[in-house]
Amino acid sequence: MASVTHSTRERGRIVTTEPLLRVDGLEVGFPSKSGVLRAVTDVSFEVRPGETLAVVGESGSGKSVTALTIMRLHPGSTRISGSIMFEGRNLLALGDKDMRAVRGNEIAMIFQDPMTALNPVFSVGSQIVEAIRIHQDVSKQQAWNRAVELLALVGVPEPKRRAEQFPHEYSGGMRQRAMIAMAISNEPKLLIADEPTTALDVTVQAQVMEVLHDVQRATGSAMVLITHDLGLVAGSADRVQVMYASRLVETGGVDDIFYRSRNPYTRALLDSIPDLLATTDRLDPIPGNPPSLLNPPSGCPFRPRCQMAVEHCAESVPELVVVGEGHASRCHRTADIEVTPVETS
Amino acid sequence: MAATVDSGRLSVADALEGLSEQPKSFGRLAWERFIHHRLALIGLIGLVIIVASFFIGPMINDHPFDKPDVLNRLQGPSREHWFGTDEIGRDLFVRTARGGRYSILIGLLSAVVATAVGTLVGAAAGYFGKAVDAVVAQVINLVLVVPGLIVLSVFALNFGSSWWRLSLVLAAISWVRIARVARGVVLSIKEQDYVMAARAAGASHSRILFRHVLPNVVGAVTVEITLLVGSIIVLESTLSFLGLGVRPPDTSLGRLVADAKGNIDNDPLRVLTPGLVIVFIVLCVNFLGDGLRDALDPRARSNRDD
Repeated sequence: MASVTHSTRERGRIVTTEPLLRVDGLEVGFPSKSGVLRAVTDVSFEVRPGETLAVVGESGSGKSVTALTIMRLHPGSTRISGSIMFEGRNLLALGDKDMRAVRGNEIAMIFQDPMTALNPVFSVGSQIVEAIRIHQDVSKQQAWNRAVELLALVGVPEPKRRAEQFPHEYSGGMRQRAMIAMAISNEPKLLIADEPTTALDVTVQAQVMEVLHDVQRATGSAMVLITHDLGLVAGSADRVQVMYASRLVETGGVDDIFYRSRNPYTRALLDSIPDLLATTDRLDPIPGNPPSLLNPPSGCPFRPRCQMAVEHCAESVPELVVVGEGHASRCHRTADIEVTPVETS
Repeated sequence: MAATVDSGRLSVADALEGLSEQPKSFGRLAWERFIHHRLALIGLIGLVIIVASFFIGPMINDHPFDKPDVLNRLQGPSREHWFGTDEIGRDLFVRTARGGRYSILIGLLSAVVATAVGTLVGAAAGYFGKAVDAVVAQVINLVLVVPGLIVLSVFALNFGSSWWRLSLVLAAISWVRIARVARGVVLSIKEQDYVMAARAAGASHSRILFRHVLPNVVGAVTVEITLLVGSIIVLESTLSFLGLGVRPPDTSLGRLVADAKGNIDNDPLRVLTPGLVIVFIVLCVNFLGDGLRDALDPRARSNRDD
């Protein structure tokens, strides 16, 4: 298991801080009729206070499962091993009551679809009040005032009036703002945003990301941003890790990933981004589909789709190898990938 | 663990002039929607009128419900006897009012018991799943397939000698209808993102069940309750009609119909009056349920001015 050290580039800023979250050798499996589905395999990473870590990957790559496992919101039958250390405590070893005190209070989550993540029978304000009062011993009126402040903070206009409204009276963007307000209501140290803009209109996505940044700055919380939108990552993350078929395949600073990627999958992902200035009218998708997690192909799981695959790739799963300061890649041919900027043509 | 709410870090209170008053509550909004629902209002007013007449009527038209008065037997409606008299001269209005009071009391009490038991059992089964659900689902199926009228007849004969006992017997077979609806709704509600979001916010199982799941069950269960009140009233009338309900000389609407049925050719009015009262009550209750469902659905169009 490779452990990844952090780049000096960021050391000037966050020198002595201990990691806020340290995931070590996490394995998550879902028992099914045809065997155990390995949704997360040997995933290790750290999140330091105040930083934004983007987790990128296709559907089914294990990024959302990783997030849900950190919150311990996985189904009962899930098999988990490894450790998730949050401020020195192993979350996987906490009792239900202790875990509830962490959820929403120290680690908060923002869900993908704001249209369904708010309870339709309560006003938005009262849902924020509830989120506050689960963890704080304050009066309803105090919590209500706080809820209105929070709505103002996330840019909901006329927050006093809007707090009294029900979720169906909100637009998608406004609901996601309300979800953010709820998530930060207890000033968590870590925010986990699971595709926070995927369900939103393109024009609203940028606004919501901006709100996320603002609240992150205001509260000083760290963020794990789960997304498949590389454009979002470029603009907002400090570090990026790319997941494929339940494993981390590359991890590094934003520039490492975007300009100095040493992994064929990351490069293919970057190549598939539409380019406004491109002269061709065709996209370059990655051929084929992600492998089945029940019967993964032998060796490197990306091998069947990889343009650089050689015979050796079928023999074993490559290790995560450190290729630079805070930059690691999982590929047998890492050494053969030249460190020239990736062309997004 | 708890940070104080007044921590200045996030405070933007300065940007807002004077913070808000309490919001319009959900109950208030529901009431506003309810009174704008014409059928529901008709149902409510109809019920109030008929229940009031059951209670106040006999005070004005003061006859004993059980004393025979053979000199005045089988009279038609008159100022003295509004609905006429029966074979032994008892006033039929007083008897109808008394029967109607029992019908409504029995309908309400059984529905309350059935709803309390059914909702809790059904919701617990749906929410906790697994073994709890397996057991409850089988019990529900069992009660549903048992021929209700036969079981009721046996129970009513041995147990149902007073109106509240009869209510309990009726509740004992009707709670499964509520439980089935509650379980079904909870099964879908618990998969909703907002339940996951509540868990992510640190809510406990009981908080999620009582605050996030059950309020979303209310709409569906309310409709089922009103249908249930209606069918319990009809069921009680059926039992009484068969002679298994309230014991004579007391009476109920079903028994009044039964008493009059032999004479239907000569005096159809005596069968029709209690029969129509049953229909009227059940209809009003169902209208009311319709309105309640719309009122309790927060997605229904609000009638506020914004």
